[in-house]
Amino acid sequence: MLTPNERERYDRQIMIQGIGVEGQEKLKRSRVLVAGAGGLGSPIAIYLAAAGVGTIRLIDHDQVTLSNLNRQILHWEEDIGRKKVDSAVIKLTRLNSGMTLEAMAETITEENVSQLIEGCDVIVDAMDNLPTRYVLNRCAVEKRIPFFHGAVNGFEGRAMTILPGKTACLRCMYRGPVPQEKFPVIGVAPAMIGIIQVTEVIKYLVGIGQLLTNRLLIYDGLELTFTELTVHKNPDCEHCGSPRRKE
Amino acid sequence: MHIHTTHRQYTNGLEVVDVKGNTVGDCLNHLVQQFPALEKALFAKKDKLHNTVEIFVNHATAYPNELVKPVNEGDEIHLLVMLAGG
Repeated sequence: MLTPNERERYDRQIMIQGIGVEGQEKLKRSRVLVAGAGGLGSPIAIYLAAAGVGTIRLIDHDQVTLSNLNRQILHWEEDIGRKKVDSAVIKLTRLNSGMTLEAMAETITEENVSQLIEGCDVIVDAMDNLPTRYVLNRCAVEKRIPFFHGAVNGFEGRAMTILPGKTACLRCMYRGPVPQEKFPVIGVAPAMIGIIQVTEVIKYLVGIGQLLTNRLLIYDGLELTFTELTVHKNPDCEHCGSPRRKE
Repeated sequence: MHIHTTHRQYTNGLEVVDVKGNTVGDCLNHLVQQFPALEKALFAKKDKLHNTVEIFVNHATAYPNELVKPVNEGDEIHLLVMLAGG
């Protein structure tokens, strides 16, 4: 049930056909896991908070450094040395004091992922490496929790929405291990991709629109193009193939 | 064939290159013939692409076994690189 204050606060989006009071209440009742509080996690958490998602669980083990500030807009100069989740809680609480924030300064691993995502309605991928993305993907598939993928490099980014059991998952495109390297990035790239991921999350939670499933969206900021590529569910996928195999 | 940003340094900046062949593998070989420096950027070893290289034919994934996928006159191949940053 929305309070009078919430009805006023979210008035402009309640006006949107398909959201309404009912949709806003769905957002309020939702718990969204944001895995990472960096370049992608910053815009994702900010726009989830602004949209009125009731609970955000934010996970990041890292601390803020000077070189984060070109893109991780939740963190400011005064936060250098602070845990990213603590820095994020300060800003997000000031943006929306009516929401619940569950901040966890943890490293996501095969061992703890199941516990970390417990109770969440969706998982948003805001990681900075592929191995942890696959850990999240596998757990999302096992627990049938929608997973919203995003990744960036330079001026480029990509996004895809995964509905376990129905659509291609992130592992369906897996070709083998890749070297983990420091990646170049300008802040507007994760901003663009993060906002696409949040758009997908809002649509899913409210139940409107067409999701970015079985479609990999490629954003090229230098050419300013969006390219949509079809991805098929891989029957031999280690995570979602049938029968599912262990690594 | 559409060349990814990171590979255009090997194609004199060209974003699109005409290639010939009956399969994706043939087309990649023709591409490498034109721009030999691309070979190391695309292939880990003979007939084995780097794990980061993704191939799409007519906007649809060609994975798995992408090198033997047949192609026809006028088909479009996108060469992409997997992204990991966040």
